[in-house]
Amino acid sequence: MLEFPFKFESCRNKKGQMKIQQMIFMIIAVIILFAMVGLFFLSTAFSSLRKSATTLAQEESMLLVSRLANSPEFSCGNAFGNSKTNCVDFDKVAGLKNHIGEYSDFWGVAKIEIRKIYPSGEKLCTEANYPNCEIFKILDKNVNTLPYSHNFISLCRKELNDKITYDKCELALLMIASEDRTNGN
Amino acid sequence: MKFKKNSKGALEISFGWLFAILAGIVIIFIALYFSSKLINVQQESISAQTGKEIGSLLNPLETGFESSQTTSITIPTETKINNICDIDGEFGTQSIQLDQKSFNKWVETDVAVSFYNKYIFSEKEIIGKKFYIFSKPFNFPFKIADLMYIVSSNERYCFVGATNEIENELSKLNQSNLILDECNEGDIQVCFGTKDCDINVNLNLNYVEKNNTKMYFVDDSPELMYAAIFSEKKIYECQIKRLMMRVEKISSLYLEKESLTQEKGCDNTLGIDLGMLSETAKNIEESKELEIVKIEADNVDEGNNARRCFLW
Repeated sequence: MLEFPFKFESCRNKKGQMKIQQMIFMIIAVIILFAMVGLFFLSTAFSSLRKSATTLAQEESMLLVSRLANSPEFSCGNAFGNSKTNCVDFDKVAGLKNHIGEYSDFWGVAKIEIRKIYPSGEKLCTEANYPNCEIFKILDKNVNTLPYSHNFISLCRKELNDKITYDKCELALLMIASEDRTNGN
Repeated sequence: MKFKKNSKGALEISFGWLFAILAGIVIIFIALYFSSKLINVQQESISAQTGKEIGSLLNPLETGFESSQTTSITIPTETKINNICDIDGEFGTQSIQLDQKSFNKWVETDVAVSFYNKYIFSEKEIIGKKFYIFSKPFNFPFKIADLMYIVSSNERYCFVGATNEIENELSKLNQSNLILDECNEGDIQVCFGTKDCDINVNLNLNYVEKNNTKMYFVDDSPELMYAAIFSEKKIYECQIKRLMMRVEKISSLYLEKESLTQEKGCDNTLGIDLGMLSETAKNIEESKELEIVKIEADNVDEGNNARRCFLW
């Protein structure tokens, strides 16, 4: 006689427990769904942010390269006769190479180099072979970079021939590249 | 939804419903919290992007052999540009931080975009939608940098009694907020020779008086005079210090160049003077001391003009 109400109680308890379990599963599922949607949204937002950072970096390097030759560390000034635009003083840049540690973040780019167009070649410039070389790496941060932006320049220096000092200018490319941050480096 | 009433008339809600309501409230609050955070992040990223774009747009303002360049920037929303100057590091830092108006309320962001090769002279906060920017090269005695001046189109500067040279230059800039002589009420008056204006320029003693403070410039450097006119003292002094840091660095580049060109038959006469210029520029503390560095700069310039091969 006494067993019946107990059986009925335990049956109701079990049903209640089932419902709580169902609800917990439901809540966990909803949270997981929200988390997944959130993660998807965040990854999309971050990838578009990285893309726009890359576009901005590329735009900046394009705008910078057109003006870099006229900046004080590169420009010829009046050292080779009258003022010239897009003229790079090779002797000054050679001096800059010795101070490049101080300038590593100055222009906000990862690579700066000068490549002679004529006479062309692949010889890298060092202290020993300067100025008889074709590629002068001014800054190289050894990181992944975006494609180079370049600008044509006249590369001028002082030369000595038979005790006569004269100005020598050659056609060259001033090339800069920004760091590629798209891979999360 | 069915709620039972007990015999005393109170609502009897089952545990399941109570739990669901509480869980729903928690989920909604979490969703609201994260979405508000996300909106903040989006706004910060927009501010950072706009700041970077402004910085990129300043690149074409670098002068070649022009005496000045001018441009304007229009931003769709009301924007506050915070000009931040810092002298730490090799060259100091120029940062700009943007706050934009959203639903008529300023949304402040912590993201500042920094540059090492730019020198912006302005008030600490510039507010508006349209901003005029002009740049002038600064030579001391060789080219040091291009100075950029940013003014909001909301502010009109009225120049009274300026010299012909200054008037010509301002007319050429063709900026609608830089007015000559015919001042209106609410204009910021810039007076030359007379006192009691918002900004007083003394061309004899080479200083600009603004908000009861004096900012000094040197002879033959109108670019520094403009810098003082458009800047707050704190920004001006900081940028002067940064410019002198660059004088120090570029002097050492010319020292290197001199020793390199000496092997090619050029003279070696400027080493000591360049060293002195570099040292005095390094030790400058405020604009008042610019005169001392100017003496060294003039010495170096004379020396360069007397050389067979010019260094700059």
